[in-house]
Amino acid sequence: MEESSSNVLSSEKPGKMKRTKKRSKGKEEEQEEQVFNFNKPADEGDDDLSDSEDSVYSGLEDSGSDSEEGEEEEEESHGDDGEDDDDEDDAEGEQSQQLQTEEKKKGSEGEEEKKADEYEHDSSDEEDIRNTVGNIPMEWYKDFPHIGYDLDGKKIYKPIRNKDELDDFLDKMENPDYWRTVHDKQTESDIVLSDEQVELVKRLQRGQFGDVNFNEYQPSVEFFSNEVMLHPVTNRPADKRSFIPSLTEKEKVSKLVHAIKMGWIKPRRVEDDSRGRYYDLWATEDSSILAQHKMHLPAPKIPLPGHQESYNPPPEYLFTDEERTLWEQQDPSDRKLPFVPKKFSSLRQVPAFPRFIHERFERCLDLYLCPRQRKMRVNVNPEDLIPKLPKPKDLQPFPTTQSLVYRGHSSLVRSISVSPSGQWLASGSDDGSVRFWEVCSSRCMKTVQVGGAVKSIAWNPNPSVCLIAVALDTVVLILSPSLADKQVVSASERLLAGQQEEEPSEGAGPVWSEAEGEELNQGIRLKIQHPKAVHQVAWHAKGDYLASVMPDHSSHLQVFIHQLSRRRSQNPFRKNKGLVQCVSFHPVRPYFFVATQRSVRIYNLVKQEMTKKLQANSKWISSMAVHPGGDHVICGSYDCRLSWFDLDLSTKPYKMLRHHKKAVRGVAYHRSYPLFASASDDGSVIVCHGTVYNDLLQNPLIVPVKVLRGHVITHDLGVLDVTFHPTQPWIFSSGADATIRLFT
Amino acid sequence: MLKFQDLSNVINKLLEAKNASHSKVEFDFLVRGQFLRTSLSAHMETEGISTEEVVEIEYVERITAPEPEECMMHDDWISSVHADTEWILTGSYDKTARIWSVEGKAVMTVAGHTDVVKDVAWVKRDGLTAVLLTASLDQTVLLWEWNSERNKVKARHCCRGHTGSVDTVSADPTGLKVLTDEADEVEEPADRPRKKQKTQHLGLTRTPLMTLSGHNEAVSSVLWSDSEEVCSASWDHTIRLWDVETGTMKTTLTGSKVFNCISYSPLCRRLASGSSDRHIRLWDPRTKDGSLVLLSLTSHTGWVTAVKWAPSHEHQLVSGSLDNLVKLWDTRSCKAPLYDLAAHEDKVFCVDWTESELMLSGGADNKLYTYRYSACQTDAGA
Repeated sequence: MEESSSNVLSSEKPGKMKRTKKRSKGKEEEQEEQVFNFNKPADEGDDDLSDSEDSVYSGLEDSGSDSEEGEEEEEESHGDDGEDDDDEDDAEGEQSQQLQTEEKKKGSEGEEEKKADEYEHDSSDEEDIRNTVGNIPMEWYKDFPHIGYDLDGKKIYKPIRNKDELDDFLDKMENPDYWRTVHDKQTESDIVLSDEQVELVKRLQRGQFGDVNFNEYQPSVEFFSNEVMLHPVTNRPADKRSFIPSLTEKEKVSKLVHAIKMGWIKPRRVEDDSRGRYYDLWATEDSSILAQHKMHLPAPKIPLPGHQESYNPPPEYLFTDEERTLWEQQDPSDRKLPFVPKKFSSLRQVPAFPRFIHERFERCLDLYLCPRQRKMRVNVNPEDLIPKLPKPKDLQPFPTTQSLVYRGHSSLVRSISVSPSGQWLASGSDDGSVRFWEVCSSRCMKTVQVGGAVKSIAWNPNPSVCLIAVALDTVVLILSPSLADKQVVSASERLLAGQQEEEPSEGAGPVWSEAEGEELNQGIRLKIQHPKAVHQVAWHAKGDYLASVMPDHSSHLQVFIHQLSRRRSQNPFRKNKGLVQCVSFHPVRPYFFVATQRSVRIYNLVKQEMTKKLQANSKWISSMAVHPGGDHVICGSYDCRLSWFDLDLSTKPYKMLRHHKKAVRGVAYHRSYPLFASASDDGSVIVCHGTVYNDLLQNPLIVPVKVLRGHVITHDLGVLDVTFHPTQPWIFSSGADATIRLFT
Repeated sequence: MLKFQDLSNVINKLLEAKNASHSKVEFDFLVRGQFLRTSLSAHMETEGISTEEVVEIEYVERITAPEPEECMMHDDWISSVHADTEWILTGSYDKTARIWSVEGKAVMTVAGHTDVVKDVAWVKRDGLTAVLLTASLDQTVLLWEWNSERNKVKARHCCRGHTGSVDTVSADPTGLKVLTDEADEVEEPADRPRKKQKTQHLGLTRTPLMTLSGHNEAVSSVLWSDSEEVCSASWDHTIRLWDVETGTMKTTLTGSKVFNCISYSPLCRRLASGSSDRHIRLWDPRTKDGSLVLLSLTSHTGWVTAVKWAPSHEHQLVSGSLDNLVKLWDTRSCKAPLYDLAAHEDKVFCVDWTESELMLSGGADNKLYTYRYSACQTDAGA
């Protein structure tokens, strides 16, 4: 309640203050007049201000009015502050009251003080009226002997001051209250501040409230808030002017609008920062721009003009009539040239290019519409790195189904061979017979009893003769099956009967002899008696030479090459390089392949030297076949492997195929189709696709395509030999179950 | 579900109502040129015929199952058969050809070849004498004259000129020219074209009138498609048509497998071929592009070694295969054969028809079977 009342009071206070100010102004005017009058005494006042304390006191004590003046003075100075801050003013009001009470204690009491008691709380009206000069800089009076006027208009004289510096110093040294003594300029007196006053000053200096008891953090009641109160602080109705637009404002605005319209006032210009008012340190390092530059791809260049574009092209670039008609008929996008080459005698006569703008436009369109892109990262799927093998379905033809079974043998069929024409099939069996079959009907056309288990059989690859070499025991028989044209038959007879050149047999060399009697009727023509058991025979592609193999660890007499037309035999090797398993002639060149247990040696028969030695990486080679091109060899081995050698690539196998479960017994290449096959003791024949490329950089493509089953495993032996039909993608296989099967 | 048995009963009832003396007959039904084999709705579903449409169903008397008639035993495999109206001529692997009566009686054995007889053909008949041809592996074709009354056979000519075994022979419809074919292979480099030869029989030993070269490999089958045109099938995967007058090749039909046999029907003018991949394919020999298969008939499980069109029916053909089966086909029912004739115990090498309602088949079991079939052609519309 107190505060509210003080508020009310303070709100009225400025009015009073104004009044006092007016009054003081009036005084100032008076003083100005006085200034005119008394311009002289200036420095004296200063001197007076440094009067000794005693005198001041004395002065105050002398006249109660004087002391009153000091109070008033102080009061007023506070009042000035009070204009800024009501609260402070208020506090000062109280303080002034305290001061007054203090001064009462001091014993100086006047009439005015008693009056003030009536207005205990109304401190604003109390002015120090002992000196009526008002609130003016007191130095104006420093040249005068007086410092102002009292209420009666009489001069108030400055107290006599005779304190010098020494006195001042002594005073400072001796007087314990010196520090709390202040000099009142208006009355030229020294005032010793009481403890309360000092405390008050200190508090004020610290920025605290003057009143010790005042709680500045008291919770405040928000009266003037945005909330409409039910019982407002003031019940005053809103002013009418708050509803009516202000006329003066309207006038001002209309003036401004007019000025703007007339162009007298220009809207404030927004200063653009672009012109280097601020320096953009990072401007050049814009990441997107940098990225663009990094990814920049130059536009594709237009190819340089050629001879066709010339104004005087060579005649071969000019269009003939057909070319011209073709050019005209073609769709513009299909044309090879977008223009027709023309010839001009001089550059001067070249007309303007009519499509220039069009062409430029199209070029721009091209550049604009075809965004150029750089692919930074390549996602590589590891599976893509594996070479894609084509599907077997796409590699047809290859044999897939069993078509015919050739039955007739009574024991396992070790070897088969197809006639070069593909019409006949010869087979040799352990039952001591050689049978000739018609391929297309599986009819056994002929049976020749040779009297021993046939180890190997080979049809002479020369189509102009019809001969078969049969290896059994220690003999190689040459048979003439007479299953061909009579001329061919007679040609082969002539070949056999040709040279009777009997060489002096060199010790262990083979012995040639002619068949006689019954054997002759059966078709047996020649017998070549070997010193040891013959395991394999192989013809040269021309059909005159025949190689036979007699595996033997101890001797160098393992391979013989026989010349049929001259009935001559020779042993090409002087040294024993290992157990020879099989041999083969190169299809076109004078090379000879000899497979021993672990390696394949290739000999040049003309130079009589070894050219290459292939390491098979297998324990025991069982069979070997040479590609019709002559650059590739496959070897089957008893440890279930099939190795493909690329002779141009390496002496190590290019590829090892381990598809068989048991020992591989026979391998074969097709003469024309990219096929090869392997026969195994597990009763299956595996047909593989093996494309050989002419390009030396491209390795052969090997894809297993088909497993052919059909043979019955007897005595742990499955398929013993395999051979392809010379022209069709058919394969023959002979097995231990005494059958031969044709797969187509 | 209307099955064709029910349909057949309906027709029989209708016919009985019209004609009291009608005896019950089994019928087959044709929906848009295809035989009805399942229920009508299922058939229409598979053929994609809308049930909203009016479907015309033709009915024909069912071809009754061919009944085995005779079994003629040979001494060896039968390589070929050719039937006349009265006589049946067979070639055998025992180096002879035989003449049988239709009833299955052995009439004559023609012996003279020194090797397997691969093909036989009747050339012509006038009265009691008949002229026949035999082709053999011994590279000759023999022309025989046979007097049926006296039952004497006389070798008239020996046609030489082949450098390999003669696999197939075919006689001109007019009976004047003979076409033979060799299966021998290379007598010279392998790319040397194979030969076909045509002989005119005037002297004792004849030489070829003309050689048709073009095939790269053995020619397996030849025939006269008409008097001016010769058709040959080969192991080099082609069927070639030749103009006899000029000796030039007219058309080549290329397949993907070896052709074993071909047959031509003058009724439907289609060429049927049997190949080593189990399929019988129908070709139009007049097409120029030459690789268009009209229809594939697939049911055999082995090589198709023989195929023959019916002489009197434009839709039927018979085929023999290495899977021991003879199949009767109707081109209107191309998914499955009409009948499987499983009489043989071994490979079938040859099939033929006679005019007198007999089908013949011979094979590696030394037996020539004849089957009687109903040649009823009483088509009636519905």
